[in-house]
Amino acid sequence: MHIPNDFLDPKVSGSMMGAAAVVLAYALAKVRAAVTAIVPQEALAAAGKGVGNLLNGSRRALTRLGERKLYLMGMAASLIFAAQMFNFPINNGTSGHLLGGVLASVLLGPFAGTLVIAAVLAIQSLFFGDGGIMALGANIINMAFFGAFIGYYIYYIIKKYLPEWASIGLAAWASVVLAAFACSLEIGYSGTIGFSAIIPSMFKVHAIIGIVEALITVTMIKVFRSMTAENGEETE
Amino acid sequence: MKKIIFLAVAVAILAAFFASANPDGLDHVAETLGFGGKAAASTAIMADYKVPFIPHACVSTALAGVTGVLLTFGIFWATIKLSGKTK
Repeated sequence: MHIPNDFLDPKVSGSMMGAAAVVLAYALAKVRAAVTAIVPQEALAAAGKGVGNLLNGSRRALTRLGERKLYLMGMAASLIFAAQMFNFPINNGTSGHLLGGVLASVLLGPFAGTLVIAAVLAIQSLFFGDGGIMALGANIINMAFFGAFIGYYIYYIIKKYLPEWASIGLAAWASVVLAAFACSLEIGYSGTIGFSAIIPSMFKVHAIIGIVEALITVTMIKVFRSMTAENGEETE
Repeated sequence: MKKIIFLAVAVAILAAFFASANPDGLDHVAETLGFGGKAAASTAIMADYKVPFIPHACVSTALAGVTGVLLTFGIFWATIKLSGKTK
């Protein structure tokens, strides 16, 4: 669902860039606060010059749990990057691939999940031409904001009524359909094609892709959790 | 932790050989509705998940994929290494 540059007009790609910048700045601030702690002045004074690796005199430093969280984010991001390369065939000459929004945010929380997907999208567009660089804002809004962030809250609400695996699956499906809808609106507003043509076509294809997204998401969350479990619970 | 990176590398390599070459959902819709031709060819360094100087398509994609996996992890790794730590 990576939009190339030419499907969007500059107004749409520009405003999506702005919206994406706001989302990312907020998510970044939230994650930074979660993975760091303020180092007390007395500790800094006592340590003297030994705290050379405190960056730019910043008072915040990475906690041990925060470091683990960042490693988990990196692992999830690289796994989602790889999984997105694996296009699976669906009906009549079409393929789909994982978006990974709900996968990332159920594993890491909504803010970290959003950043993880945005990082994957940035690498894909900068180095692999998958999704245009001008369209990166729109792609981040679709797959990181709607896919991961909103996807997380869909999961969160459904989980009150259904078992976890069912909530994950349903949220994963909904996140793909929602991202496809947002994508259709952006392309429609750009005047590339009429809304009445693109909205139903995108829905039909992504309603099917979403089913596979749900299956992969549930499976990969189990695998990821068992492979990264701590305290000797590692199940290999 | 290394296990997940190995898994990601394995998935990228498998994808290079076995992934469907059909257009994805959006590309398919674009083709069907007749605006797919608008997309210009990308000038990115590993455009279309191919390393430019390797002629064998699958090997080229596998190499591009592994590079991508390591780059992606690298962003987070670099963030950790550049951050001050509490001990």
